[in-house]
Amino acid sequence: MVRSVFNILNGRNTRQGLWGLPLLVALLISLWLTVETTQFATAENLFNLVAQAMPLIIAAIGQLVVVLIGGLDLSVGSVISFTTAVLALDQPAIVLIPAVFVLAAVIGLINGLAITRFNVHPIIATLSTQYIVLGITRILRPVSGGTVPEIVIDAVSGSFLGIPYPVFWGIVVILAAWKLLYGSRYGLHLFAIGGGIASGAESAARNFGVSDRRNIILAYVICSCFAAVAGVFLAGRIVSGDPNVGLLFELDTVTAVALGGTQLSGGIGSLHGTVIGALVMALLANGMNLANVSPFVQTAIKGGILLAVVGLQSRKKMGL
Amino acid sequence: MAAVLANPIARRLLRIPPSYFVFLVLLATLWVARPNMLNLNIMGIFVRQIVPLGILVLGQLVVMRVKSIDLSGGGIILLINYFISSGTFPGASMPFFVVLALGTGLVIGLFNGFMIGSRRVSAVIVTLAVSIILVGLVQFLSSGNPPGDVPKLFNDLYNTKFLSVPTPVLFWVLLTALVWLLLSRTVFGRYVASVGENAEAAHFSGVPVQRTVILAHTLAGLIAAIAALVQTGSIAVGSVRVGLDLPILAVAATILGGVVFGRGDGGVWGPFFGALCFALLFVVMTVLGIDEPGKLIAQGVIILGAAIFYGVRVRNP
Repeated sequence: MVRSVFNILNGRNTRQGLWGLPLLVALLISLWLTVETTQFATAENLFNLVAQAMPLIIAAIGQLVVVLIGGLDLSVGSVISFTTAVLALDQPAIVLIPAVFVLAAVIGLINGLAITRFNVHPIIATLSTQYIVLGITRILRPVSGGTVPEIVIDAVSGSFLGIPYPVFWGIVVILAAWKLLYGSRYGLHLFAIGGGIASGAESAARNFGVSDRRNIILAYVICSCFAAVAGVFLAGRIVSGDPNVGLLFELDTVTAVALGGTQLSGGIGSLHGTVIGALVMALLANGMNLANVSPFVQTAIKGGILLAVVGLQSRKKMGL
Repeated sequence: MAAVLANPIARRLLRIPPSYFVFLVLLATLWVARPNMLNLNIMGIFVRQIVPLGILVLGQLVVMRVKSIDLSGGGIILLINYFISSGTFPGASMPFFVVLALGTGLVIGLFNGFMIGSRRVSAVIVTLAVSIILVGLVQFLSSGNPPGDVPKLFNDLYNTKFLSVPTPVLFWVLLTALVWLLLSRTVFGRYVASVGENAEAAHFSGVPVQRTVILAHTLAGLIAAIAALVQTGSIAVGSVRVGLDLPILAVAATILGGVVFGRGDGGVWGPFFGALCFALLFVVMTVLGIDEPGKLIAQGVIILGAAIFYGVRVRNP
């Protein structure tokens, strides 16, 4: 019993990675905020927190899918900005919403094809698409403006039975991701491919009849689509298109994924860890705002916590 | 396609890092569009702007040869720029700042190396976290406002010329040559190559893998500090945003130059031309009147195209 708790805390001998420690960090921050400030433990603030954290949670889940197969998607931020820009194009919602997802899937497809078919390193492939998509976004909408369809705004700002819609967004996205990662053959294949890549045997999964190419391409498509969902959510929140809204999101998602104990070499990680990681980041931002900590110190503290949590993970091999 | 790739001449051509081809194409474009731009003075000014990136590339290529990555360069540049411009050390002389900068780079590089080599933490995460911490620290210290001015000597030195070539460019070439010697003529260079090729085999052959990785990162930190000094000289004022996109551009330039994680086909001069490509790219876009979004798109298309071109080669050895 003691040993298994210890194992969860240091993430050893598990395919889920180190998620116990970030959970502990999240609980400690919440506890500290409840004691220190009166505003934290109110329903209003907590719902607000969920709404603030939601884009990051959604995008981070997408990033997790890619990280599990040992990849990295740096185009997430651009896809989010691009989505808000497309949604603000002043066309009927029935056209725009499917268009957003088709375009995101195309971006993911380009990433995946470049990486698998043309052997481009994930960082380079997704960095290139980051630039390209950001460029197109800036052409579509040089500065923030325009209005997004009414239905998108309603979908994030209403409430049902006293619970605001963002909470339902979270439940739906997490359930879908749970089904994808733990309830489908595809999820199993992801872990198989990633585990092989992490241990240096890149053809391991293929030797067991798992098509690595197709699954890797699909992972990038899924990641982009999750980013598009985050973009739709954000567009509803800010009511307009903004070419800079997704700025640095790629780094935040990687931070959240790593905070949740997922290893960037692939094969080891968990959905709950990632959600916890994103929540820790949102809690930190929310808590330090309540405690009047300068936003610049917040950045430094975020980096420090990331370093501490990741520094405690045990790995056998050196590398990215 | 396969038949073309099997041709010995085509295979020889494909071994050349993409940066040389991109460089030639950009040069040809410029020659056709604005032949009068191609003189030493104008090109010198444009190339001079890219020197901080070019120096950062040198550190990046050393760590990428040992299958690692260093994204902390942006933070190091920002911190050193802050040290020099904030007036925290009033009346300090230039040598003091140089020593301070190199010391800072050394300590941060050593820390990166220790975390990656000894603690075996993910290189992306460690160097990213270090960068985030440094950026946050500098922004906090300066409350988000640009700090003061840089001692005049820095900018004066930056503006000097030697035989009508700007000194920063000469300095960059010299530094590149030094790194080239280090990687091709010393024991450390051999260690770097063998660790990148196969860390396990290197370990069993008696190569001190851990020490090599730590040393490579320390060197990268030191080189980033040098890049920071040049960058500070070039902008001549304090800034809280300077150089933040440089590390990722350095990775792109290095890969353009034919050095991928663990493989060093491009040597040192491939990445050197990779950095030059960014300088030329900037000139060509400005000359052709392409605005900011177009530049981003072209940058992405060129990096992706070059990487695909190179990836095809690796796939068909």
